[in-house]
Amino acid sequence: MPLYTLEAGQVVEGIKNREFSAEEYISQLLGRIEKVEPKVNAFVTLNKEEGLNRARMLDKKIRDGEQSGPLAGVALSIKDNICTKGMKTTCASKMLESYIPAYDATVIKRLMSAGAIIIGKANLDEFAMGSTTEFSRHGPTRNPWDISRVSGGSSGGSAASVAALECTASLGSDTGGSVRCPASFCSVVGLKPTYGLVSRFGLVSYANSLEQIGPVGRTVSDVVSILNVIAGSDENDHTTINSNKPTYSLQERKGFRAGLVMEFTEGADPGVSKMIYNAADTLEKQGCKCEEVSLPSVQYALASYYTIATAEASSNLARYDNIRYGFDMNPEGYEWNSYFAKARSNFGEEAKRRIIVGSYVLSSGYYGKYYLKAHQVRSLLKHEMETLFKRYDVLIGPTMPILPFKIGERIDDPLKMYLVDIDTVVANLTGMPAISVPAGFADGLPVGLQIMADQFAEQTMLDIAYLFEQAAKVQRSPEL
Amino acid sequence: MVVTREEVKHLGWLAKLEMSDAELQRYTAQIEEIISYLNMLNTIPLEQVKPIAMKKKFSELRKDAPENFEDAVLGTRYRKDGFVKGPRMV
Amino acid sequence: MATTTKIGLEIHCQLTGAKSKLFCRCSSDYRGKAPNANICPICAGLPGTLPLLNQKTVEFAAMITLALGCKFPDDIAFYRKNYFYPDLPKNFQLTQYNAYSITSIGVDGKLEYGNGKDARIRRVQLEEDPGRLVYASGSMDTSVYVLIDYNRAGMPLVEIVTEPDFADPKDVRMFLDKITSIIEHLGVCDTKLEGSVRCDANVSIDGGNKVEIKNISSFADVEKALRYEITRQRTMASREIQVRSETRHWDDARKVTKESRTKEEEQDYRYFPEPDIPMVLLGSEFVSFIRQSMPELPDTRKERFMSKYGLSAHIAQVLIGNKELADFFESTLMIYLSPKEIANWIVTDLMSFVDERQKKEEDKQHLLFAGLKVGPEHIADLARLVDQETINRATAKQILGQIVRTGEMPSALAKKMHASRIDDASVLAQAVQSVFQMEQAAVHDARRNANVANFLLGKVMKITKGTADPKIALEMIQKKLKED
Ligand SMILES: [Mg+2]
Ligand SMILES: [Zn+2]
Repeated sequence: MPLYTLEAGQVVEGIKNREFSAEEYISQLLGRIEKVEPKVNAFVTLNKEEGLNRARMLDKKIRDGEQSGPLAGVALSIKDNICTKGMKTTCASKMLESYIPAYDATVIKRLMSAGAIIIGKANLDEFAMGSTTEFSRHGPTRNPWDISRVSGGSSGGSAASVAALECTASLGSDTGGSVRCPASFCSVVGLKPTYGLVSRFGLVSYANSLEQIGPVGRTVSDVVSILNVIAGSDENDHTTINSNKPTYSLQERKGFRAGLVMEFTEGADPGVSKMIYNAADTLEKQGCKCEEVSLPSVQYALASYYTIATAEASSNLARYDNIRYGFDMNPEGYEWNSYFAKARSNFGEEAKRRIIVGSYVLSSGYYGKYYLKAHQVRSLLKHEMETLFKRYDVLIGPTMPILPFKIGERIDDPLKMYLVDIDTVVANLTGMPAISVPAGFADGLPVGLQIMADQFAEQTMLDIAYLFEQAAKVQRSPEL
Repeated sequence: MVVTREEVKHLGWLAKLEMSDAELQRYTAQIEEIISYLNMLNTIPLEQVKPIAMKKKFSELRKDAPENFEDAVLGTRYRKDGFVKGPRMV
Repeated sequence: MATTTKIGLEIHCQLTGAKSKLFCRCSSDYRGKAPNANICPICAGLPGTLPLLNQKTVEFAAMITLALGCKFPDDIAFYRKNYFYPDLPKNFQLTQYNAYSITSIGVDGKLEYGNGKDARIRRVQLEEDPGRLVYASGSMDTSVYVLIDYNRAGMPLVEIVTEPDFADPKDVRMFLDKITSIIEHLGVCDTKLEGSVRCDANVSIDGGNKVEIKNISSFADVEKALRYEITRQRTMASREIQVRSETRHWDDARKVTKESRTKEEEQDYRYFPEPDIPMVLLGSEFVSFIRQSMPELPDTRKERFMSKYGLSAHIAQVLIGNKELADFFESTLMIYLSPKEIANWIVTDLMSFVDERQKKEEDKQHLLFAGLKVGPEHIADLARLVDQETINRATAKQILGQIVRTGEMPSALAKKMHASRIDDASVLAQAVQSVFQMEQAAVHDARRNANVANFLLGKVMKITKGTADPKIALEMIQKKLKED
């Protein structure tokens, strides 16, 4: 079996026990990338040389009998909106086409000191704004299960690279479902942590109050390995929660109570719904109690989400004026307003659209009508969820209401595109953790089961995800 | 009409986004649709609901200790005597 | 026709007392550094950076809030003020804003100034300073590009906004002096540093449109700018031209206000709370912590000077009006405790040298006594000499005039002068001899009434043109009265 099919834990053990070298593993992986990348287009930048160098250094360390970290040798792709010092971080935008960060994101520092190897920067919708990875300057990332279809987004490159065996695991960012949506579409595991569990320092902001960096892997176990390294408070991010560094484990526990959110199954395609009911059956067979529950304020979730996300985005993206960094455009001679407008016209369609919508909802006199209301909806939703979590350990439902669709199918209808985020935005609005695990296939296309838990109840959520994963035995990787 | 072409144009000026007539046309229609959807927020009775706010104590704030950042920060090649060149101001 | 003038102020003080910037770890000591040598990813607005609120700046802003009699909210938040400008690395400014039950750190205060006047303080807020723009050819109008230095970007500022409670530019000046003294006493801002305090003003007359004046680079120019603007508006009114509501810039070189050349479309700042900075809980514990850590305020110090040292209200006011002066006074007392004498020497005599220097240089950039070779030890020594009647006041003044230039100790100088006079004992004896011949009647009286000896002394001083040491002269007179 090729080394690139191994789980993170197997890679670490294999290298440590000198069953194979890190160099062998990375070389095989690079070979795999060379073969499938033309079909998938998961990467914006590859880090071949440095990846190999780091592998060789690790091998030397092991030979010298030195200690290696918990992720020693594991090849990761990193969504290209997470800053990597000395390595381009483009956000799939013309605005940052040649941008090289002067510092590492906190999560990158932590991964590197755990021994991980960054194999490349993964494709995304420009500045993480989208649900398909079609809004990328580098072209769409294709779904490894059917390359005529979208991979989901905005962390499409992360999920597709993991599904296509181009890396062992990945980091994405999840603002309204951006880790879970592509995880669902590509049949991998994607986790959005509780808001404040993982540092956002170095994550290029799209919507600050909603987003978290989250791991993507082929197994729950891999996701846990990554989460254990990146979670925990950070003095460089005031919004991380001050507490001891948490450690999660894989536990075989049974007897959970799960609420199946009616609004989510009712709104989904019949094929998707069916798979979710099957998933509930699987859990029941494992001794869980599943009951249908209602989350009435879900009807306002998207309006709330798109108000907050666009408002924050419009302001976050203001700094891209091409003066301090950016693409090559000489400011000399331009009148400043026209220079800014000219430079900034290089944002892609979707980014521009969201900047304008965000500017609209924040305009003088509208704050109380949109932004404040949107925040009140968050409270309402959180309250409803908290009430449910008194009776249920987790809430479950489909991650995406639809199956992966054809590339280009929805690109001209922004509102229709926004509506597919209905099941995922709830976790972001309430700050609660959520995970998407492969539930099986409908019409040959992946369906993801979403499991949501109360704030900082990641362990419970992971326990059920693991229980389901072990019972459902969903096929892991596509033919490519 | 919820959103007019003039409004979108003004928003474009505020956000410093240059738009062609065709773009303006297209965006106006799309933004009209999006804002109409967002308008549902105005139909919810929310007077009693307080927004969630993250809070920190004074003692948790950053301590006032200066540190030098050693690496080069600015990427632009349009520089003069250490200054960054910007467009003219009139 | 009488006109009513309404002036409101917006004062920005850099919190130079903090060691690092408002949201990053860069040094607050940016002055004199090479362009863009005092920046980091946060203050340069690089993608992915997050603001890290400096605890000290909240403490300082809270002190100012208390000093200006403002109320604290339960918690504070920061807002983004969104507008584009090349000196703004993120193209929004992190500031505070009062809306939807969230307020800035201080609201609704009142400050007394001058003699029993007061002005209402609308709010006190913390915010970040932008970078600095330099025009390549020296002027905005003729430069084909602008040069940007972000060293200042992210410096902590406290903005103090007053209600339009001033009518006279002279009152504004007094108010600003009081603010200066307060922030100096709090140790939050070194007002001597260039650009550390700035003031914008708004002016309206007879209930007409409000005109904002920006770009006044020093407190000293505020009075001038206001006088110019009031005259301009009155002239317009007298010609029945309506004053436009606008922002005008103070032209430092020409000493006039001029209209901004760029007519922008209506700005809309799209304020919303900064999501990366959680609300900061203040609460009663915080407020009592601030109360305890507050240095003495000028008003309290003035009262102490009056009650403890018996100084007059006027003298005490002059001293606390400038922290350096008050500190100088107290340092002198540490060496020699003679408060009234020392206060007098500082306020009347020492200040006379300062005034001349300041008139000459017309700036307040350096310390009051910079260039004068005088320290508390000199004044203490001088006061001791006078108290012990080693020298009289006239001589002491002479001595002060010399030592501010030379830095010599007064007692050393007095000894020299004394010695030279003893050398001239025969000259003094001659002078006494001739007074005794000229004023025989008085000499006669003096033998019966000791007080008349002072009359004779006056005559001696007159013919020696004041160079005689009065003590020695008097001894000589008394001796001679007994002899003859
Ligand atoms: Mg201000
Ligand atoms: Zn900095």
